[in-house]
Amino acid sequence: MNDMSMPFTANDKRVDLDGLVAHVSDGDCLAVGGGLSSRVPMAAVRAILRRGVRGLKVVGSAHGIDIDLLCGGGAVAASAESYVGFEQDFGMAPNYRRACEAGEVKVEDSCCYTVVQQLRAAISGLPFLPVRSIRGSDIARLNPDYKLMTCPFTGEELTLVPALAPDVAILHAQYGDMHGNLRIEGPPVVDLLFARASRKVLATVEKLVSTERLKELGGANVPYFYVTAVTEEEMGAHPTACYPFYAYDRAHTALYYQAAKAGPEAFRERYLAPFVFDCPGHAAYLDRIGGAAVRARLSSWNEGTAAWQRLYAEGIS
Amino acid sequence: MTASCSFGEVMINALARTVEDGTLVFHGYGSPLVQIALHVAKRTHAPNMVLVAGATYGINPRPPFLTPTSNDWVLDRGAECALDIEELFDLGASGRMGRMFLSGLQIDRWGNANVTMLGNREMKLKLPGGGGGCNLSCDAQRVTLWTTAHRCEPAPRERRRYRLVERCDFVTSFGHRTADGRTRADLGHRGHGPQWLVTDLGVFDFNEEGCLRLRQLYPDTTIEEISENTGFEFAVADDLSTAPLPDPDVVSTIRGLDPLGIHLKELRPHDRERRFTVRQHEAVEAS
Repeated sequence: MNDMSMPFTANDKRVDLDGLVAHVSDGDCLAVGGGLSSRVPMAAVRAILRRGVRGLKVVGSAHGIDIDLLCGGGAVAASAESYVGFEQDFGMAPNYRRACEAGEVKVEDSCCYTVVQQLRAAISGLPFLPVRSIRGSDIARLNPDYKLMTCPFTGEELTLVPALAPDVAILHAQYGDMHGNLRIEGPPVVDLLFARASRKVLATVEKLVSTERLKELGGANVPYFYVTAVTEEEMGAHPTACYPFYAYDRAHTALYYQAAKAGPEAFRERYLAPFVFDCPGHAAYLDRIGGAAVRARLSSWNEGTAAWQRLYAEGIS
Repeated sequence: MTASCSFGEVMINALARTVEDGTLVFHGYGSPLVQIALHVAKRTHAPNMVLVAGATYGINPRPPFLTPTSNDWVLDRGAECALDIEELFDLGASGRMGRMFLSGLQIDRWGNANVTMLGNREMKLKLPGGGGGCNLSCDAQRVTLWTTAHRCEPAPRERRRYRLVERCDFVTSFGHRTADGRTRADLGHRGHGPQWLVTDLGVFDFNEEGCLRLRQLYPDTTIEEISENTGFEFAVADDLSTAPLPDPDVVSTIRGLDPLGIHLKELRPHDRERRFTVRQHEAVEAS
């Protein structure tokens, strides 16, 4: 891990969104933070597509619209996620499926604990860590870099999984300061491990506050020196949730899914063009999705259970 | 006095009955039937279960309603505390997770399941993948498998696409033995593997060799129908019975937990129409 440029010590790491994703290069191993329909750094994902990055290898655990969008935009060459889909909400991820089945994305499916152990190996400065599980399944068939060994202490057979230090992690936190301290509220998913294991950590935050204010809010759970650069983007996780600010935008995700399901051309016309490439930046995207009215609708979850429930009730069948 | 319940409620009840009290149980994500089943178990026979919610990893939450995705703050409301991802899977690896629930687009007689890809030599269909299921299938003490698509779409037998298959195209989560005959004991796994398989047609357990055996029918299914929809021959228990229907209080718990009917998304249209009449804890078949 000698090529890590951590610690990042600049006092002021604020950049704009384009400046943030300028740190992502063709062929990078990319870890996307958040999970499923929560706290996914979607503004950064769209900016990566606008930058025209190609050949990414994406790694992580449970993902949906982020990896599907990156696949639909042609940015991904290999996927070592453990899950890419829309759960029972919409089902399979259309762009991801097409790209895998066409051979455009190499399938290197992982599983959650294996990813955890690989990241912990990188974090500990070790070349690998063992797991007892996996043997008996075919997951190793997709991961020829796993090795078997006989434990010198017990004689048991174990699987060794290699250290994983992503080139770049992109994370979206509720709060951060200009120094790069991040406060993630609610389930952290793999974000804290990604932050410690990755060579560069690029963060968008819902609200940039002073270090003092961050401490009042309960303190950082990602220390600043892991973080390369930080950008404040309100609704930077949309259409996934970033509580307490806003809930999951199921209506927008339905629009996304229908466009993706209709095929590559329809997806370009109905989603990639209007919501990614024709938006010069995140502000234009927020206008495009409906601006303040959408924000007001999605923040209404806080008014009580009935209001919260209403956000999911439309179109459930 | 009579009341009626749905097939979803019957299946949730069957899943709940596989949970033992006093154990740590994890329901994974993308599985509302299982999620509701754990809350039913916690409120009935397993009050001391440590209920770990999938995706949020909240412990013993009291969600006000179910949402269509699993990593939502709705679902960890009222949780006593929460785990992070490494702690959850470490608990599994060290043998301290009592039960996990897994499913598959293909499930074989040994309880191996596939959620990775269809196609033997070349990939025909990329499935979403198994999350942590591969690890937990080996590590969790016990596994309950489930599927809501045991019944095949109508087709002549030679072209029928089975959910319960002779052999999985890809094994994502490990059951009792590999295609080349290696067992869990051979591989040294800590978990004991699949114990139950709950489907839309019946409830199976696994015999001493780790092979599926039919244990329960539903009031509206038959052995012949299950045979017709299964890609291999299976044993039938000597004490084959009918799965009990949920008590009225279980039915009302389910309806209270899932006012949006999220669990119905897991069921096929035909199964959403199946109804059963509950007569004071005593089951009588309806249409």
